[in-house]
Amino acid sequence: MIERRYEQEEVDFVIVGAGAAGGVLAKELAEAGMSVVVLEAGPWRDPQHDFASDELSMKSLGWQETRLVSGSDPLTMGHNNSGYGVGGGTTHFTGVFLRFHASDFMTRTVDGVGEDWPIRYEDLEPFYDRSEREIAVSGPKHFPWGEFHGPYPYPEREPLSPNAYLFKIGCEKLAIRTVTSPLAILSAPFEGRPPCINRGFCNQGCMPNSKFSTLIVHVPKAVRAGAEVLADCMVTQVLMGADGRARGVAFRHEGREYEQRAKIVILSAFVVENPRLLLNSANAQFPDGLANSSGWVGRGIMVHSSHDVYGKFDEEVRLYKGTPVLASTQELYATDPKRGFARGYTLHAHGSRPLAIAQGITRSQPLDLKPNVPQAGVGSGSPPVWGERLRHMMLDYNHYSRVTLVGETLPGADNRVTLADEKDENGLPRAKVNYSYCDNDMKLIKHAVQTMSSIIKAAGGTPEFVVPDTAHLMGGCRMGTDPSSSVTDSFGRTHDIPNLYICDASLFVTSSGCNPTNTVMALAYRTAAHLIDKAKKLELQALQSRA
Amino acid sequence: MKNSKYPTYDVMEQQEHWDEHTRSIVSSRLVREHGYRFLTTVEAETLRAWCPLLVDDTRADIIQYVLCHIDETLEKNKGESQRKPGVPPERELLRSGLKAMEQAALSAHGRNFFHLDEETRRKLLTELSQADAEPSSVWNGVPQKELFGKVLALTVESYYSHPTVWSEIGYGGPAYPRGYVRTNIGQLDPWEAKAEP
Repeated sequence: MIERRYEQEEVDFVIVGAGAAGGVLAKELAEAGMSVVVLEAGPWRDPQHDFASDELSMKSLGWQETRLVSGSDPLTMGHNNSGYGVGGGTTHFTGVFLRFHASDFMTRTVDGVGEDWPIRYEDLEPFYDRSEREIAVSGPKHFPWGEFHGPYPYPEREPLSPNAYLFKIGCEKLAIRTVTSPLAILSAPFEGRPPCINRGFCNQGCMPNSKFSTLIVHVPKAVRAGAEVLADCMVTQVLMGADGRARGVAFRHEGREYEQRAKIVILSAFVVENPRLLLNSANAQFPDGLANSSGWVGRGIMVHSSHDVYGKFDEEVRLYKGTPVLASTQELYATDPKRGFARGYTLHAHGSRPLAIAQGITRSQPLDLKPNVPQAGVGSGSPPVWGERLRHMMLDYNHYSRVTLVGETLPGADNRVTLADEKDENGLPRAKVNYSYCDNDMKLIKHAVQTMSSIIKAAGGTPEFVVPDTAHLMGGCRMGTDPSSSVTDSFGRTHDIPNLYICDASLFVTSSGCNPTNTVMALAYRTAAHLIDKAKKLELQALQSRA
Repeated sequence: MKNSKYPTYDVMEQQEHWDEHTRSIVSSRLVREHGYRFLTTVEAETLRAWCPLLVDDTRADIIQYVLCHIDETLEKNKGESQRKPGVPPERELLRSGLKAMEQAALSAHGRNFFHLDEETRRKLLTELSQADAEPSSVWNGVPQKELFGKVLALTVESYYSHPTVWSEIGYGGPAYPRGYVRTNIGQLDPWEAKAEP
């Protein structure tokens, strides 16, 4: 049984998913005095007792339920790009907190690729400010790229890790500027949370609470403001009324079905589950799925290409020490026509633990730095590495350094989420995720692998192998001004159903070449402000009509 | 034979500095537990002859933990995160794959897979990893690369979560509530593994 406050009531908002976006929305809307229920499929964990300094057991922070993956570059899902439980992906992200550049919102205009967003950098700027201030992002005094040049609310992290220092040395030799990464990780105490102790397990869940997550920041604030957050509740359907408006949602908890009615339904269940839910809620009025008159629900999903290059050094590096990402460069972020592809990328010095590096080695590819030979993608390449070779490489674990790519990929209509014929244990169709890199993506990867190898070489190491990988998911319910080629408007309101909103990374029109969490949260702050503003106007209208 | 650079380092000596939850998770990997909930005895013995070759290590206690991990994963059946269309779910893939390997061994060598010598087993696994395993009558319907990859992933994730292996590669292990203080290049906190000449 589940205890519920609003079982018989229609609340103002029901939010599906308590991740980066859902947490922000719940806090903002509850603090504005609205009645809010948040439904989260996964558990509500206590960082000090349920997290552990252990890679294997903390894989459970990702969405482990099986998705079918197809395409020429089938994606690795789970912990790689999703969250499961209150806090969502913020419980295990690296904490990298970057802003999009102005060009990211207008790639069609600037470079003739992708699509333009219906908003510009200036529209999000005040919300970036807010999202960074509210969690005291630490970062450099001066940030050299993009529109925002600092300073950040909190000073940059100090000390760094051996891997970050080597990265900075290598970049300096090549005249590539670097910064200490802007991080949602405290460099000094804030709101009762302590500064980081360089434990290094950001991807396994922060135990000291130094790294922000909505689990420890926004959700508790939302609850204090009166929001009801229900964990272990899997939403199975958006319920529709005969008037074409959403009535609420159906959800399952411990095998039983429940309903929650709401004036406005907001889906913040991320890039795979939002389309899955919309498609699975199809009815006679919306036979192709809800909010899908454009046919774009599930389409245009994007990842970041996230190849890792490992280099070996004579001296010890010890990739386990310190926060995984502490040094970054965006020197190669902007389009450079000389490179032969559009858009660009961010590079991070990135730590690695035994399980991640060992699994990486099994999938690793030899470096091929010859020009015009594509670097192998995710779905192709040489046979797995195992046995003696794997063991020998792992005995040198402490001598490896690693640089990681966050590369822009272009949106493609066929990179999409659909429903599979196969059902899950609840009888819901499994999500099928199709993904293939395009030619521009492959050229960018090739260039980035070359740059990463040069940085390692310049630092005194020998680049040894590359692990093809991806990070992050974006798109699938993209925003836009044209209802025939987008799912929502710029606030996430679906074109087809006036009281159904979508708010999270699935709104992204393009991927950018940097980590998305700051932008996800800025969009959520913007949507929340819009909804609060609208509610106030409605209240005013109601008052006026009574008067 | 390449050996550990840290032969006397034992990460478990640090366990009093770890939080209780982590300590219970990591120390449970040292327990030799034998009860299988999903695997049959023959399947477990086939894996016992298979997994050591993947990680180039035959130590019984570590391999036993690997088998227990595989058994537990299949028994709990929490989800595979991703699977390609046409590939059977992991329980089915493992069950039919282990059976096929047994039959392949019997048909080619007249012996159980776990009775074959190391070289023959390695040859069979190499063929499997390249989707060259025969005869096709036995392997029909078993996606070979996916089978090899699934056993490899389950083996590697547990093997490199074993504290004895952590010690050998000089990994600092759990680090809460202690964290790291000395993090410049070449600096070590006093409790970290020191390379021995």
